[in-house]
Amino acid sequence: MTQTIKSEPFILNIGPQHPSTHGVFRIKATVDGEKVIEAEMVMGYLHRSMEKLAEERTYTQNIPFTDRTDYLSSMSNNLGYCLAVEKLASIEVPARGNAIRVIMSELQRLASHCMAIGAFANDTGAWQTPVMWAFREREKILDIFEVTSGARLTCNYMRIGGVAFDLRPQFEPMVRKVLNDFPPFLQEMEDLLSGNEIFLSRTRGVGVLSPEMATNASLSGPMLRGSGVAWDLRKADPYCGYEQYDFDIPIGYQGDSFDRFIVRLEEMRQSLHIIQQALDGLPSGPHSTQVPLALRPPKGEAYARIESPRGELGYYLVSDEGPAPYRFHIRPPSFINLSALREMTVGGTVADAIVVLGSIDIVVGEIDR
Amino acid sequence: MTRELSGPEVAALAEAAVPGSVAKTTETACYLKPEHLVQTLEALKTSPEADLVHLTNLCGVDFWDHMEVVYHIQSFVQNHIALFKVETWDREKPEVPSVTPVFHGAWMQENETYDLYGIKFPGHPNLYRILLWEGYPGWPLRKDFLSMPGGLQPGLGEFAGVAPRQEPPVKVIE
Amino acid sequence: MSIPVLALATDHWYDLRDLANISDAILDGADKVLPFGIVYVLAALIGFVASFLIFVLPSQLYLGVYGERKIIGRIQSRYGPNRVGPFGLLQPIADAVKLLTKEALTPKESDRAVMYVAPIIFVMPAVLIFAVIPFGPRMVFANVPVSLLYFMAISSLPVIATFMAGWSANNKYSLFGAMRIVAMAISYEVPLVMALLGAVVVTSGAPYAGDFLNGLALQDMVLWSREFHIWVVFVQPLALVIYFICVSAELNRTPTDIAEAESEIVAGYLTEYSGMKWGLFYGMDIGYALGASAFAATVFLGGWTFFGLEKWVPPWMIFIGKTHLFYFLFIWTRGTLPRLRSDQLMAFAWKFLLPLALFNIFLVATERMIWSSQDYAKGLIYVFAVVNIAVSIAAVYGWARFLGYRPENTPVRPRLVKNAGGYIPVGSEANR
Repeated sequence: MTQTIKSEPFILNIGPQHPSTHGVFRIKATVDGEKVIEAEMVMGYLHRSMEKLAEERTYTQNIPFTDRTDYLSSMSNNLGYCLAVEKLASIEVPARGNAIRVIMSELQRLASHCMAIGAFANDTGAWQTPVMWAFREREKILDIFEVTSGARLTCNYMRIGGVAFDLRPQFEPMVRKVLNDFPPFLQEMEDLLSGNEIFLSRTRGVGVLSPEMATNASLSGPMLRGSGVAWDLRKADPYCGYEQYDFDIPIGYQGDSFDRFIVRLEEMRQSLHIIQQALDGLPSGPHSTQVPLALRPPKGEAYARIESPRGELGYYLVSDEGPAPYRFHIRPPSFINLSALREMTVGGTVADAIVVLGSIDIVVGEIDR
Repeated sequence: MTRELSGPEVAALAEAAVPGSVAKTTETACYLKPEHLVQTLEALKTSPEADLVHLTNLCGVDFWDHMEVVYHIQSFVQNHIALFKVETWDREKPEVPSVTPVFHGAWMQENETYDLYGIKFPGHPNLYRILLWEGYPGWPLRKDFLSMPGGLQPGLGEFAGVAPRQEPPVKVIE
Repeated sequence: MSIPVLALATDHWYDLRDLANISDAILDGADKVLPFGIVYVLAALIGFVASFLIFVLPSQLYLGVYGERKIIGRIQSRYGPNRVGPFGLLQPIADAVKLLTKEALTPKESDRAVMYVAPIIFVMPAVLIFAVIPFGPRMVFANVPVSLLYFMAISSLPVIATFMAGWSANNKYSLFGAMRIVAMAISYEVPLVMALLGAVVVTSGAPYAGDFLNGLALQDMVLWSREFHIWVVFVQPLALVIYFICVSAELNRTPTDIAEAESEIVAGYLTEYSGMKWGLFYGMDIGYALGASAFAATVFLGGWTFFGLEKWVPPWMIFIGKTHLFYFLFIWTRGTLPRLRSDQLMAFAWKFLLPLALFNIFLVATERMIWSSQDYAKGLIYVFAVVNIAVSIAAVYGWARFLGYRPENTPVRPRLVKNAGGYIPVGSEANR
């Protein structure tokens, strides 16, 4: 005679006010005990209707909006938008401008991945230490941004046809310092987390994504590479002269949270390598081409994408020869990376769901726009 | 470099996969017939020649008299990207079949398009307003949804001192 | 059974090396003026106030609040509190004032009575556990013969309070925390007691001053380390490791703080508490950690002895130093390690710690038999220490390997490929 104990599923709100949702994102999880049996995403708490607002401003006026979408990688967002406009209006960027853009977007990748791995380690329960160490290093990069563009977070530095200002004289020593400081820091992170049995047991085999699933769910960036798909737009579709630089694409083994973590760590190493090369071969010349302020691109459409720290960041612009874009669409990587969230969380525990969410590395400003 | 397939190239691929699926072709894009959309994309996804496996971008565009849904689909192995479009001419009840059965990644983006354009996607497992709340009045990204206070025409009218843009083909009902 | 403790110091009242002198002087004087019996109440008060003033309060404020924040700040390469007072030394007081003046909210749908009582129940055992801790040769408030059992019994009481707190708040996160802590406390009580059993087996029955030591009395364990000039930790290293892990699980310290896992369930059973109600939980968490550290210092680290140094340095200072040293371990792990998942934590207790604890008992019982057959030879215990340290390391490593610990099979660097393309199966990336 056996008697089974029945448990009643109930709904647990993870978010919008929760320490681990990195903003105002909400997972409506139906849990049976600790086990998640259904997960529903609720978003839009930060919706600012940027795509609509952008239709009412000129092409140049729209650049600051892109800062505010993914506020952790504003340089990359500026770059993606400027590339789209340049593609639409067939504008050439001088070599120096391209090199500066590469350096800036790679520095931005370092800063953003610092945040990502720090917050991810925080989600696994490493109480603040990795995030603080990461912030220590990120601070140096933000200082560089401040020197160069005047702002730390929302840089608004890229312009259509180049960058806003040329580099300051103190720029190069600061970047050299970052290049010196980062490898020991990455080694430190590896010692603290990658070699830690608790961290491994928390992240290995958690949120496993098969490469088929990752492709089918339109994932991009470290999520896709963690699953073993070698896809990096800097290699596949080089922009800003990325084809001149030598770097590798890190890919994971089985597509779990740990793979995404080590892929991010290795991407930081590759970024340092790219910055080194770009800084050594920084061409002289103008940093920007002259573009009329009242830019009126010809009728048509353009879809330009870059490899932002979170994945493929695309801008789809439609022009009707007006001064403002007729249609301004952002393809936000962390929004679309969430499509696989349900598949990764259902069946795991609540604690696993938090780790998976941390490994996606969402930025709510970009999800909600 | 990722090769951007031109409209006729994409149309040829689509026609080879599902005959009669292409509605029209422009220089860059291939317009598919809505009734053949899912079938065509499914076929192109599995065909090794096209290998369009990764639905990169899906969004809607409003052209006053009709709306379009834009699909950017790319291949990792062939390293090319194709642009498909589907038109819907019904402004009251716009409908485009959902490609979620083919591409799971369309799930979120179709929800977003529904939320902001009001385009229904029959076949979508759970179509809801993902960014705004249920019952939000109107579809914000449609051109007749006015966001500038006092403005009649969406979009920046004109720079100062320049003749205004021509009137939109569809009059806004006050 | 009580063994006369050899007085270390003179019995002048001004001899601060043993604070029992001053307490005896006060009580003797009081006995002459006060009616019979009052002096026992006075003794209890003196013990309470003294232990509170010299140990619990300063340790709680300056190690538990200020020290922890400062040390974790240094671990995290930041300054820690440095605004209030010199070096931020007044920070704990500012914290306390802030907590006292903050509104203690009670949710509308909560079980108000239980929610109110829970912090009080939580505080009481924290005060009681210090009764049996020996601070010095004669500085033990209640030298009960079974003080180890008393300690174990009292220290498992707060689980009830935390469960009450979690259940009464009518919050799902609180409920999660409450359920987790009950499951975890039950699991970890078992290896904890098993580990302590090893220490008891070593110490009990050893000859001391013509009598035999009682291994269940904490004072006798200290005397054992004094007699044999070795701390129990060297004979029982495995027991200390198991004790440390178990006790940090019971105390909800990171890496095992699943009951108030901040990143998962907000604050667990404390989610709905605020103001001083929360402050009681917070303060007494530190109190329990101090109690556990004091217990570990007594059982494993030789208590107030330090190989003869206790004749010169006040023994209670040595004891407090050892306690703080052990408490530093809690801070250190908190600042370093990620948190385990609750099922992994249970599995760790039952699959890893319990077998090792049983093995440890088996080992120590064998040695104990050999030892008694050799008539408690003093040199033999050092041989046991060396053997046990080696065997413990081997046992931990071997058992971990047996359970599937394979660090060499775990790649910590991703694969690198030169060119973009589709999916690359594991093993075929070399040619890309």
